[in-house]
Amino acid sequence: MGQQSMNANEDDNTKMKLFMNGQGIEVSVEAENLNMLIALQHYLTPEQRQQSFAVALNGDFVGKADYQQTLVNQGDSIDVLFPIQGG
Amino acid sequence: MTLNTTLNIYGQQVDSRLLIGSALYPSPEIMKQAVLASGSKIITLSLKRQNPAEQAGAKIWQYIQELVKETNGFLLPNTAGCKTAKEAVTLAKMSREIFQTDWIKLEVIGDDYNLQPDPIELLQATETLLADGFKVLPYCTDDLVICQRLYDLGCQVIMPWASPIGTGKGLMNPYNLETIRLRLPEATLILDAGIGKPSDACLAMEMGFDGVLLNSAIALADNPVMMAKAFAQAIIAGEQGFVAGMMQQRQTAHPSTPTLDTPFWHQQG
Repeated sequence: MGQQSMNANEDDNTKMKLFMNGQGIEVSVEAENLNMLIALQHYLTPEQRQQSFAVALNGDFVGKADYQQTLVNQGDSIDVLFPIQGG
Repeated sequence: MTLNTTLNIYGQQVDSRLLIGSALYPSPEIMKQAVLASGSKIITLSLKRQNPAEQAGAKIWQYIQELVKETNGFLLPNTAGCKTAKEAVTLAKMSREIFQTDWIKLEVIGDDYNLQPDPIELLQATETLLADGFKVLPYCTDDLVICQRLYDLGCQVIMPWASPIGTGKGLMNPYNLETIRLRLPEATLILDAGIGKPSDACLAMEMGFDGVLLNSAIALADNPVMMAKAFAQAIIAGEQGFVAGMMQQRQTAHPSTPTLDTPFWHQQG
């Protein structure tokens, strides 16, 4: 779960449910203010934020330069991918 | 004829014809030693989800970065795990941002049983990525028409399989591969997947393939470092054999040793 995830509360519109790497988490941020940068800060550890990673929102690539201006909405799926070995 | 020891990847000359995967080794250190022993300059890698608790990927990435620097080599990210053109295009864009390369080994899998590429999705993804400036290295079956379509779209490199990924079955259909070589003489052809032993790689090079991409055959060997050297030598031997020009097969025997004046020669008449 995300570091700042909270208990589910359907009526509390200050919490938003997101799917980060397929895992449901809730973040305690005003919906209209939640952008990709904030969502990633909720999900990633400080160490991971320093590593190489790339992001997709609902299956579409989001470049690093666009994190700030990319709004994230209730129920969105975010993939955060890191380098691994491959063939 | 002269031996051209460089591999042409969209105009980039690479001085090894072996492309090597970075997965499945007993340890990152053995992976590093095997890559160095192979002489390969192109290392494949991938992207995956990583939950906050996981940290293993960071070390592997560090090893691969060191290897690329040490070998003055190149990264070739793949789109492993993708089943649609859309997934593959997204993953390619993510790879380009992380790895700072427009090379992409394009994999779009159509069947979970044999990991056979989906030709329809592959063509769609190829067209989109080429238009977006990628240098696409498509992994495909040994189907001449699919290879021809990929080439017509603008792929300068095409990578038909020898056999399904990880099987080690070698060249399932040499006729198909020879035909692709014959019909696409200008394409850089790299045999990708299914290689099991050094002689498989040698055979591909004897057919006139430009390179071989493999992973399991080295990584799963009892001694991956020695096997990496064996593959490097096999590829050079096969290439030299092709360039040297092989003799034609003959139906009847012809003595190698001159028969005139051999001991106990029975002269007629």
